[in-house]
Amino acid sequence: MDSSGGFLVQVYEQERSGLLRFLCARCGDDAEAEDVLQELWLKLDGLATGPIGNGKAYLFRMASNLVLDRRRGRMRAMQRDRGWIAEEAGGEPEAPEDRADPAQPADEAIARQQEAEVLHRAIAALPPGARRALQLYRFEERGQAEIAEIMGISRSGVEKHLALAMKMLRNALSDCGAYGSAASLQREVKQ
Amino acid sequence: MNTSQDIFDRAAHWHLASQRDDMDWDAFTAWLEADPAHARAYDEVSLADAALGEIEPPAPLHLAANDDPAQPVARGGWYRWAGTAIAACLLVVLSFAVLRPDAASVYHTEGQSMTVTLDDGSQVVLAPASELTVDGDQLALSGGAWFDVRHDPDRQLVIAAGLVQITDIGTRFDVQAAGQDVRVAVSEGRVSVRSEHLQAPVQLTAGRQLHFDGASGRSLAAPVEAASVGGWRSGQLTYADVPLRLVSADLSRYAGVEIEVPQAMAGRMFSGTLTIDDGNAAARDLSQLMGLGLERAGACYRLVDPAD
Repeated sequence: MDSSGGFLVQVYEQERSGLLRFLCARCGDDAEAEDVLQELWLKLDGLATGPIGNGKAYLFRMASNLVLDRRRGRMRAMQRDRGWIAEEAGGEPEAPEDRADPAQPADEAIARQQEAEVLHRAIAALPPGARRALQLYRFEERGQAEIAEIMGISRSGVEKHLALAMKMLRNALSDCGAYGSAASLQREVKQ
Repeated sequence: MNTSQDIFDRAAHWHLASQRDDMDWDAFTAWLEADPAHARAYDEVSLADAALGEIEPPAPLHLAANDDPAQPVARGGWYRWAGTAIAACLLVVLSFAVLRPDAASVYHTEGQSMTVTLDDGSQVVLAPASELTVDGDQLALSGGAWFDVRHDPDRQLVIAAGLVQITDIGTRFDVQAAGQDVRVAVSEGRVSVRSEHLQAPVQLTAGRQLHFDGASGRSLAAPVEAASVGGWRSGQLTYADVPLRLVSADLSRYAGVEIEVPQAMAGRMFSGTLTIDDGNAAARDLSQLMGLGLERAGACYRLVDPAD
């Protein structure tokens, strides 16, 4: 294990109970939380990273991303099962050759297409400030502080724009049923 | 609604903060613990953000950042009128067929099916009450047809049906184009289905089918028993979760029987096999399999819900 991995293992030992508590709340399911924690531990082994400023933030973010990966998998599985996916025509026509992935199963391809169409429409409908901030953040990979400089607004102003954008994109996906049973699945687990 | 939007707003802020080193993870944990709805909201927001990683960058803004509020309204308006665009596309397909009658051969069937052999030996069995326009490699279909296409690397057949275009790669497949609904089912080989309303072409392999619903713009891909594809040629229609309105349209074409489906049950799904030699029997079988009543209504039948 290299030095940063070793450092993270130390932080992991210190933060283990906090991580577990976070994962329980994040997953809404204690067994899944234990699984994720185990997965995180295994990932730390052999992890080669650059210098890490804030080990705790790094580990929590890693844990949170592992949960997100699971939710994405669950959402895709739900979309594959459900079949009806694409809806509401009117996405911007694009050269289809650029986007085709013949290896992808048809239903999943449709799910992704539809998701992309919904997102593009939602992005186009964002207020200009939110749209510009999102463009810089997600498609030009600028940090939040850098966006504040580019747009000549405060950090919290950037966060407001981005939060609005994220919320509206979430609403758009929700309206087209993208989360459908993924959400209800969790509800079952929870109640 | 307000409170739930507040939750999503909060979730979005947490999500953005989580990407910075100054995130307060303990406070976030406490927020998640306060209400199970918080974790769900957080999932949905972070899933939306993650989905951005898989899409093409949007077209850049054509105006400076913070001014002109007319911009989103105008664009939103354009998208909201996407329905008009659908109608326009349909017109394009239609006028194509109408404007070039000299260059193309038009095959039209009434009560009987017809086999059309293309230049390269590929065969098309055109269903009753259908029309096929052949203009070189460009085909246009309304109604039903079974395609048995030879593989030829130098040419590519394109079939326009409703709002979709089907491209084959040497294969056997069935197309049913009724109004805005287009169904494509593949028995052998592979076809590609594209439409302006699909952002990427859908590749269908043997044993797969696609239903494109032009009215809603939605598409459904599902497995299909390869052997049952094009079953109408041997007197059978096999369905797995197909809306009643389409089954009724098929029976009109293939069994010569008109069955009225009340709007309220048009979207109910039918699964099963119907024999089409005898339209009356097919109507009876359909109603029984669906647990519905069947009434005579002049020259046609009407499905009725026994619960009504």
